Amino acid sequence: MLEVAGFIGLGLIAAAFAASMGIGGGIIFVPTLVVIFGFDQHLAQGTSLAVVFPTVIVATIAHARLKNVEWRLSIPIGLAGVVGALVGSRIALQLDADLLRRMFGTFLALLAVRMMWRAWKLKDRSEPEPGPS
Amino acid sequence: MRTVNGNLIKPIILGSIAGIVAGLFGVGGGVIVVPGLVLWLGLVQRRASGTSAAAIVPTSAAAMASFGLSGSVDWRVAGLILIGSVVGAWIGAWLAHRLNERVLAIAFSILLLVAGVRMVL
Repeated sequence: MLEVAGFIGLGLIAAAFAASMGIGGGIIFVPTLVVIFGFDQHLAQGTSLAVVFPTVIVATIAHARLKNVEWRLSIPIGLAGVVGALVGSRIALQLDADLLRRMFGTFLALLAVRMMWRAWKLKDRSEPEPGPS
Repeated sequence: MRTVNGNLIKPIILGSIAGIVAGLFGVGGGVIVVPGLVLWLGLVQRRASGTSAAAIVPTSAAAMASFGLSGSVDWRVAGLILIGSVVGAWIGAWLAHRLNERVLAIAFSILLLVAGVRMVL
C-alpha cells in the first residue's frame, strides 16, 4: 500500500516538473525507479516510456491550448524521432543492465552541467528583449 | 519571435538524435529537443516546451513498443505512476506559463546532477 502511494506520488511530482520543462518525465522516472524502487535498468526504462507516452499526450493538449506548440517543427521532429527511437531501443536492449545504468547516469550528469550553464546565461539574453513571445 | 519556415533539415536531425537518446535511455527525448529548439531553432523556452511535448508523442510510442515487446515494461507500476502523472502534467503546464524560466532550469539541473552521480557510482 505504501509502495502504491509511492508510485502515484512519483508520477505527480515528476510530471509536474517534467511538463513545465516540456519533457516527458523519463529523466526523473528512470533514476527514481532504479535508485529508490530497485528496478533493473531495462525495466525502469521501459516502464518510464509507458508513463511518458500518455503523459506527453496530456502535456501536449495543455500546451496546445496555451498556443505553445509549433506544429511545423513538432511533426518532422516526431517522425524522425520514431526512426531514432527504434534504433536506440534496439541498442539499449542488447546492453548489460549495469553498463546501461552507468551510461544513463553519465548522460544525466552531463545534461545537468550543460543545463546549469545555459540557465546562467539565460538572464543576460532575455532582459534586453521584452517583446511578445 | 523568430519562426522557421520550410527548412526541414534541422528538425529531422534534431528528431533523429532525440529519438536515439529516447530509445537508448528510456526517456522522451525532451532533454535534447528543448535545448535544440532554443539554441538551434530560436524558440523561447515555453514554446520549446510545448513543441517538444508534441514531438515526443510519436517518439515515445515507438520506444515504448520496443521495450514492451521485449518484456521490459512493468505495466502495473506504469499505471500507478500514470495516475499521478495525469494530474502532475496539467499542474506543470500551468506552471510553465507562469514560472521564471531561469529558476526552473537551475532547479531542474540540480536534480539531474544529483541523480546522475548516484547512478554512476
